[in-house]
Amino acid sequence: MTPALLTYNIFKRGKGFLVLAALTFILLVASSGAVWAAVGCDLNDPDRDVARLFPESTGYKTIYTSIAQKGGEKLLAKIEAGLGDRFHGIYETIDVPYTIYEIYSSKKRIGYIHGVNQKGQYGGIQVFLVLDLEGRIKGFYIQKMTSRHAGKLRDAAFGRQFIGLTIREFTDYDAATGKAGGKIAGIKNPAPEAEADFRAALRAAKKNLVLMDEFVYKAASTGGIQK
Amino acid sequence: MITNFQVAYKNLLRKKVRTLLTIIGIALSSWVLVSLLGFNRGYERALNKDIDNMGFQLMIMAKGCPYEAATMMLKGGTGLKYMNKSLIEDVDRQPEVEKTTPILMSAVFDPNKGESGGIAGYFGVEPVSFAAMKTFLSFRQGGWFTDPNAYEVVMGYEAAELEQREVGDMILMPEKNVEFRVVGILNRTGTQDDGTIFAPLGTLQKIFDRPHEITTIGIKVKKGADSAKLEAKLYKLPDVQIVSLQQVKDTIMKLISTAKVMVLSIAVIAILIAMVGVINTILTSVWERMQEIGILKTIGAMPWDIFRLIWTETLILCITGGILGVVFALLLARLTDILIRGVLPYAPGGGLVLIDLRLVLTTLVSIIVIGLFSGIYPAWKAGRIRPLEAIRGDSGR
Repeated sequence: MTPALLTYNIFKRGKGFLVLAALTFILLVASSGAVWAAVGCDLNDPDRDVARLFPESTGYKTIYTSIAQKGGEKLLAKIEAGLGDRFHGIYETIDVPYTIYEIYSSKKRIGYIHGVNQKGQYGGIQVFLVLDLEGRIKGFYIQKMTSRHAGKLRDAAFGRQFIGLTIREFTDYDAATGKAGGKIAGIKNPAPEAEADFRAALRAAKKNLVLMDEFVYKAASTGGIQK
Repeated sequence: MITNFQVAYKNLLRKKVRTLLTIIGIALSSWVLVSLLGFNRGYERALNKDIDNMGFQLMIMAKGCPYEAATMMLKGGTGLKYMNKSLIEDVDRQPEVEKTTPILMSAVFDPNKGESGGIAGYFGVEPVSFAAMKTFLSFRQGGWFTDPNAYEVVMGYEAAELEQREVGDMILMPEKNVEFRVVGILNRTGTQDDGTIFAPLGTLQKIFDRPHEITTIGIKVKKGADSAKLEAKLYKLPDVQIVSLQQVKDTIMKLISTAKVMVLSIAVIAILIAMVGVINTILTSVWERMQEIGILKTIGAMPWDIFRLIWTETLILCITGGILGVVFALLLARLTDILIRGVLPYAPGGGLVLIDLRLVLTTLVSIIVIGLFSGIYPAWKAGRIRPLEAIRGDSGR
């Protein structure tokens, strides 16, 4: 935070502060999350993005979780086995917070939106999947990508190739080597010059599905987040 | 022999729920008071630390130029104004100046950030003079660029985390289509440096076609030097604006102090409510025990004895409530910190609530003194009870 932003924020929120400060001490019984956690992957504007990515939705609930919280090292090993690759780098860790948007139509749960961070050739890539209650991909969205060919990979036409796929199809994809079989082999790279980012997007999609399988779909049978 | 304290204690135990509620009321007031006074001190200390962490006390910019990255982002990367780097020599000549460092802020539009694109900011710096000013910066990985014209960057902790970069990785500057190698990643500082990407000044000047131009000069003033005098002298330089971080701090403190007065008045109201609670509890207890007090007087108790007995009850309530409140404040200081951080328009890094022994003792003494004052009227009332009227059940209340 910097002087200009401080001053700007103070002027902008000064009035609300007085009211909020009064409430602070009433709210002392409430709890709050950790401040210095690893970086997560959230939608930039959830209200707008959920409505756009899941047009039939009327509302959503945000659930925060992490591998550390859901099962620790044992779960991490399971997720790595499912992914077929180890979590590597200093940012792909057990304590990364994940944000799951549980989507509703009226009071009925109709699906999920979930994003993951993935290391790309020139920067972080944020890949979101729109999933139905069975774990089938309904939408694919790259929120952020730094690449000379980002436009092609962020294009809706590329994302449409993922629709209908599930974690089962992705078992044919080797996230470590990039070797693909079955339906995944049919996903065309719209930017052959950006092979590394194409592979990163596929790895992110698989990681996303494996995480959702552990956090949501498998957890439903063990009393976790309900399917 | 049974002591005054034991009698008072037993009396309070006779109405456990009422006593408990009164103690909770005092504890809450005491908690609010300790937390607010702790916040008063903690906030200023944290703000001072934040300002010190900026590394320089004065900044010079071309008139109308946004003076740091956040403003630049708010303005969509536009509005940058430039000055000649040679200006730094004029600044260096001032006897009050200890060190200076030139900075070139630059921003590019990244169309692939979110739905409608975003701004990526870069700071062009000279590692030797910049690092000398920001001595608190340390590296998580790697180090500063060694060549002043290299296509290398050092990333702040959060910038690296967002971009998932490690030393040796490449980054691409959108719009300019230029690649940089990451040579260093800084440790978290809690300042704007965490979100900044630093590149060699010469490299950025070349990429943005701004040879010999900079946007900012950071100035460290010598210890004991007259900063105001230096500011006045610097204002004589053509077409520049001076930002004094002391002024920024004073402005923030002024704005925060207004809010603090409001919050402290809430604490005062809470204390007044607790006082009324104490008076009510003790007075009710006196009225309920009217006949008992009458009998005590009949068997020789003097008004002062009754006064002391009732006052001791007040003292027990206040000390218990006060200690409980302090314990709450100490145990929940971290939570208070998080909640305050959530509602404040600006919260500096580090702990915002600073509770030490002096504060704890001051609060306890204040609560006890306030409580004793609250106890005067009920105790005086009890001391004045006429024995016969009280025993008859007609005290004239």
